[in-house]
Order: sequence, then C-alpha cells, then structure tokens
Amino acid sequence: MEMAEAIARAAALLGAGICMGMGALGPGVGEGFVAGKACEGIAKSPENASLITRTMLVGQAVSESTGIYSLVIALLLIFST
Amino acid sequence: MENSVEIIQVAAFLGAGIAVSVSSIAAGIGEGYVAGEAVKAITKQPESRDSVVRSMFIGQAVDETGGIFSLVIALLLLFGGFAVPGGGWQKAAALLASGIAVGLGAVGPVFGAGYAGGQACKSIGRMPKHSNDILGNMLIGQALAQTSSIFALVVSLLLLYTVPNQAADATVGMMILKSVSLLGAGLSIGLGTLGPGSGIGIVAGKASEMMGKFPKERKEIMRTMFLGAAVSESTAIYSLVVSFLLLFIS
Repeated sequence: MEMAEAIARAAALLGAGICMGMGALGPGVGEGFVAGKACEGIAKSPENASLITRTMLVGQAVSESTGIYSLVIALLLIFST
Repeated sequence: MENSVEIIQVAAFLGAGIAVSVSSIAAGIGEGYVAGEAVKAITKQPESRDSVVRSMFIGQAVDETGGIFSLVIALLLLFGGFAVPGGGWQKAAALLASGIAVGLGAVGPVFGAGYAGGQACKSIGRMPKHSNDILGNMLIGQALAQTSSIFALVVSLLLLYTVPNQAADATVGMMILKSVSLLGAGLSIGLGTLGPGSGIGIVAGKASEMMGKFPKERKEIMRTMFLGAAVSESTAIYSLVVSFLLLFIS
C-alpha cells in the first residue's frame, strides 16, 4: 500500500537524520578532550611533542569509530531501505 | 490535503521560537561562564583587571555569534514572507526544520566557545603580561568552535530558500515523505554540532590555559590545537553531508 510504504520510508529518513545527529556528539567531545590533554602535555614537556601528537591522533582515530558507524547506518537508511 | 496558509504560519512561528530560545540557553550559560572566570581571576590578581575585563568582553562577544545567527533566522521566518498558499506540508516542515537546525545547532559551539573564553580569562588573570598571545589564541579557538554553527546556518538558509512549493498533484504519501525527510535534515545538523562544538571548545580552553602557564611553547600549543580541532570537526562534516543528502534527494 502506498501510504504505509511512504510512512516507512519517511521514518527511515528521519531516523537517518537523528542517527547522524546524535552520533556526532560522542566522538566530537571525546576527540576534543584528547586534543586538550595533548596541548597540556606538549606545553609541559615539548621534547616529547611528536610522541604526544602521534598518540593523540591514534586515540582520536579509535574514538572516531562509533561516529563512522553512525555515518554508515545513516547512509544505509537513506539509500537502501 | 490542506493547502491553507495557516499551517505554514504555525510552523514558521514554532521554528522562530525554537531557534531563539534554544540557542539562548547556550549563550546565556556560556557567556556567564566567561564572566564568572573573569571575576574569579580579578579576585585573585586585581592588577590584571584591565586585561581580564577586555578579554571577557571580547570572549562574550564572539560567543554571541551563534545566538545572532538564530535571531537572524527567526526574523526571516517571521517577516520573510514564506507563508504563501500552495506551499503545503512540505514548506511547513522546511520552516520548522530551519528553526530547529540553527537553534539546536548553536548549542554545542556556543557552550564550547564559552568554556574557551572562560579558560582564557583565567589564564590572563594568572599571567597578564602575555595577555596578547592568550587573547589571540582565545579568538582562534572560539572561531574554530563556532565553525559548526556556520554549517547549521547554511543548512537553515538552504531549508528556507531552496525547498520548492508542494507539487499540486502530490499524494499524501509523498507529502509525508518529503516533510519528514526535511525534518531529518534539520535534526541531523542541529544535533550534530553538539559534540564537535563542545569538543573544540575544550581543546581551545586547554590551549589557552597552557599558553598562560608555558608561554614559550606558544607555537607547538597552537599547532596541536588546530590539529585536534580539525579531527574533532569531522563528525560535524558527516552530519552536514547527511543533511545535504536528506535535503536534496527525493
């Protein structure tokens, strides 16, 4: 039935929006916190700058993973339901 | 179904109210935090009074920009002549989503910029002779935090100006589909700036604090701040992409 199909598709699109919206919250705050601590560390011991920066980037990449899951689910909801 | 103007007007009023009220929650608390840290800093070191008050005013002014974007969109919604007959549910949903996008989208960046401004005032209070460096870092950090509110403003303006009127032969199903996907576009960027805005604000705050304690490491600190902020901004870009997809595909 056309109406039910449209409602289902509408719910999928709304869900895609909410999914990416809320999914950006965690990685954003977490990566910011890591970067803040990295600034602190580099200021206190600048001779370890490259090690600290490397660790920061690795930590941020891991923290990004759930953000990418949200992006994938949002794209799946938009394009293949 | 209903092709009257009233639905669109209702949506415009709701959108305008949500835009200004939700963003002013963040602006009030953020700017209050800046002022609170400034007062604490002046209590500890009264001779830093001039520099701290100067940076407090500047920090609060930059923090206000998210609220100003919302005010502009709210005034456009009220007086911009969007309530034309024939717009239908689609137009109504676009107007409501526009208010949600810019109102919610200001919360994260404004909170973040408020935290950054407060930490900068605290830092200047401790070290007033480096106040120019710290102030510069504060401005850059706050601007970085506010970039995702610019994404929200862009989506909001697109929702206002590029959504066509409802097709005359649209079925109920198509109306629901299009309206709900526009709401999803608004929610995606509206919620999506919460994280990166606050995260970049935390980085900027820490950078300003460290610049006061270790002023010789100025360049390294600012470089790390940029790098960390750029990575943290990535999820806001994902939200922007999803918003565009929901706006422009049918």
